[in-house]
Amino acid sequence: MNPPEPHDDAPSRVLVIDDCVDLHRLLKVRLSAEGHELFEALSGESGLDRARQVDPDVILLDLEMPGLDGFEVLRKLKEEPHLQEVPVIVVSGQQAPSDKVTAFDLGAIDFVGKPFDMAELRARVRSALRLNSLMKMLAQRAQLDGLTGLWNRSYFELQWANEAKRSRRHDNPLSLAIIDIDRFKEINDAYGHPAGDAVIQGLARLFQREVRGSDIACRYGGEEFALVMPETPPDSALALCERIRETFGQMTWARHPARKVTFSCGIAGSRVGVPIDPQDWLEIADGNLYAAKRSGRNRSILTDLTPEPGLRRVG
Amino acid sequence: MDRTGHTQSLRSTLADDPDYAALIETFIAELPGRIAAIEAAVRGADAGRLRTIAHQLKGAAPGYGFGPIGDAAASLEACIDASADGSLTRATDSAMRLAALCRSAASGAKPA
Repeated sequence: MNPPEPHDDAPSRVLVIDDCVDLHRLLKVRLSAEGHELFEALSGESGLDRARQVDPDVILLDLEMPGLDGFEVLRKLKEEPHLQEVPVIVVSGQQAPSDKVTAFDLGAIDFVGKPFDMAELRARVRSALRLNSLMKMLAQRAQLDGLTGLWNRSYFELQWANEAKRSRRHDNPLSLAIIDIDRFKEINDAYGHPAGDAVIQGLARLFQREVRGSDIACRYGGEEFALVMPETPPDSALALCERIRETFGQMTWARHPARKVTFSCGIAGSRVGVPIDPQDWLEIADGNLYAAKRSGRNRSILTDLTPEPGLRRVG
Repeated sequence: MDRTGHTQSLRSTLADDPDYAALIETFIAELPGRIAAIEAAVRGADAGRLRTIAHQLKGAAPGYGFGPIGDAAASLEACIDASADGSLTRATDSAMRLAALCRSAASGAKPA
């Protein structure tokens, strides 16, 4: 999975939690006209369920509802990791200063009194969506590597643990490759750090071009990369890494046209879900990387973790 | 009454906006049900039910261009909230005023 593009043209998902049907009808017509996709819930309980289902970009929340009231919904939204960042605009006829203070203290980003002016509400929704978009961009930037635009190590660690868990749960193939550019220090020393950066960026572009949409290419640190390949058996992972390795070895570099650059690769994968700790799996792939380095570099070494673990060398 | 002596109906201020035509039609079509609910709540001295109806109309009616219904609903809600004993003694007139405005919007006759 390459990092998503910064501009997303999908309609914004607006969830309205309010027990008044008239309000839903009104908002559906007026906000849909702005290109938003509207989702409705007529109670606090159903609103929480709907929020979990649709992953909204903004929530318009009434306070006075039978059963779970708006304050309680807001409190519960902020307790759920996947929903706590979703901006909530309270739209309520309860407008005492103490209600507003409570709503803001619980995490609402805005408060609109009923009855409201539709143009003003639309503007406030747009404003909340802009804020949400900026927050998402910041969160994503924190997970991106600045030099290459690939995912960074912290994102890798999170996703690798998730994918290992998913593979085991669904008994799906999964492979991991750890890749390190050979003799990188020599390139930096001989041609300067910009030349080294260009090599790292060149390999990152190659990953972005060659890996599938479901693969997760990360800069693990320095000249080291990690490639998580969900639903990919070890032989297919090896074939992909070998194709990338061969292409990389043939590339010509503007700052040192006579000097080719290679990488070594350690892979560990399984055709089925296996009860191996993700950290142990990573260490097996890492061990294969060092074995590839020790045995002459510019090669890939694979461990097939199932069903009969074996070690074979390619390259 | 207007200058020609005809009684005016309570008309939505958004009636000429084609985007609202279907919405207003639905809102008006449901008003008789609300009037019956208001009257039933008054008869049954059901302050909770009456307050819910008032609260919802306060929030929604102005959005359909029926500001006076929203104002009357807000007055009724405030009246119920101000009642210390939960009785509808003081709220009944306010409820009847709201029902009359709804009837006016639904039938086209402005209440006196």
